[in-house]
Amino acid sequence: MTASSTTAPGCRRRHAAGGGAAALVAAALVLSGCGLGSSGGAGNPGGEAVPMATMPPGTGSPGPALSGQEPTPTGPGGTAVPVRPVVPPAGGIPVRPATAPAAPAVSAPTSLTVAGTAIDMPVVPGGVSAEGVMEIPEAFNRASWYKFGPAPGAAEGTAVIAGHIDTTSDRAPFSALKSLAAGTVIRVGRDGAPPVTYRVVGVEMMAKDKFDGGALFRRSGPHELKLVTCGGRWLDERMDYSDNVIVTAVPA
Amino acid sequence: MRKTFFAAGAGAAAIAAAIALAGPAQAAEGDAQLSVLHGVPGLTVDVWVNGNRTLDDFTPGTLAGPLALPAGSYEIAITAADAADASAPAIGPVSVNLAANGNYTAAAHLGADGKPTASLFTNDVSQIPAGKGKLTVRHAAAAPAVDVLAGATPVITNLANPNEKTLTLDPGTVPAAVAATGTTTPVIGPADVAVAEGTHTIVYAWGSLADQNLKLAVQTIEGLHSAPGSVPGALNGSASSGGAGTAVATAGFGLAALALLAGAIGAARTVRARRAGQ
Repeated sequence: MTASSTTAPGCRRRHAAGGGAAALVAAALVLSGCGLGSSGGAGNPGGEAVPMATMPPGTGSPGPALSGQEPTPTGPGGTAVPVRPVVPPAGGIPVRPATAPAAPAVSAPTSLTVAGTAIDMPVVPGGVSAEGVMEIPEAFNRASWYKFGPAPGAAEGTAVIAGHIDTTSDRAPFSALKSLAAGTVIRVGRDGAPPVTYRVVGVEMMAKDKFDGGALFRRSGPHELKLVTCGGRWLDERMDYSDNVIVTAVPA
Repeated sequence: MRKTFFAAGAGAAAIAAAIALAGPAQAAEGDAQLSVLHGVPGLTVDVWVNGNRTLDDFTPGTLAGPLALPAGSYEIAITAADAADASAPAIGPVSVNLAANGNYTAAAHLGADGKPTASLFTNDVSQIPAGKGKLTVRHAAAAPAVDVLAGATPVITNLANPNEKTLTLDPGTVPAAVAATGTTTPVIGPADVAVAEGTHTIVYAWGSLADQNLKLAVQTIEGLHSAPGSVPGALNGSASSGGAGTAVATAGFGLAALALLAGAIGAARTVRARRAGQ
């Protein structure tokens, strides 16, 4: 699967007082930084008709018309090219109407409870900012589910729910993630479907400068729930924590 | 439906066949992926690849594949249904070169002049930025150049047979209509076209304006998603053991994001053709 590693830190303090290049982007980013305003922000409200964004260069080229070409394939200089046999896949070649596939029905998570902690909070869908940062709510007592990836209860891939580790002045419930014991029960309420229960199997720290999004946000393979927040050391020079805390849980 | 697939032709083909048959018949690393779209109204056909009947009784508006094929040159011919062989094709024979790991759609369709023809389109299976989808429109109809409208807004203009244009979009539903270039009266649609995150949706306009049977065909290639580049989660560091207290703050997201996008481009790709009814 994918393995895009990046160097981007994500946890940021809110009120910009920085200088230099950072200040240039501060005004535009104050609403998208550190999970601010996901539910009502400038991000990507789900399901609505969308503005056309970019048109990559070079995509207007013609599909080459094939009619009228030489019936016998020849290589440069007229050398005969070996004609390859066509070996069909087992079960034949799938043929279907050229119509749009039906969108799969997904039961979005609505609540998250972690036994033995203060984590008992609503979950809202979150997308990704224009800069590729997962959107999470500003409120410390709400968590965000990555709506483009698998949902809790999915057949495969990871369902990612993220929340703040702190508020502007205090710790938030997600600060408990780093000390969860194996076996801790996690319950996720869902919209229009029964809740699903998970059991913690591990807690890891992932350095933000070695962030492996492909592993965290995988869409295939065994289904797991990933709870994510910040952790490690606060780095004044980055104005960010050094790590993400990632709790992995499997269906109970 | 005939289920028989013959392995090889004669001459040079037989040699290649013998080699290939020694190997596994399943898709191999580096294989090209070939889909076939039937966009010629009113004509049920058989599709022959290298002299082998590969698609039997292939009907208009259907999409076959993808078929995994080793990179190389292939000869495609389209005959009337149940022709004895490919010696009298209705379209072709045409030669196509498939590159390793390439993804292609061969479309039998009408030219702008109304005559049946075939085009090989190369499908963009590059990774799509997190949170986006891709929409390509291909003009494969007996019709003049067209505009594609999303609602009342032209988003693609002056698209002529057999050309294509691609847009990268926020996921959602596009109320798409096709109109003659410079006009807004639909000749197709409006029809809702779903653009899913991480999926390349390819829409073909096919049929004939003169015969009033213009339609849209849809092909989707999923699994092109990228992961978010980071997960935020802190507001001021008060949960840190270091516990920096004062509320100085920062920005700099833009720079971080550039790094993310650069990182995503190099990542591995997984392409799955979405099956009907999924």
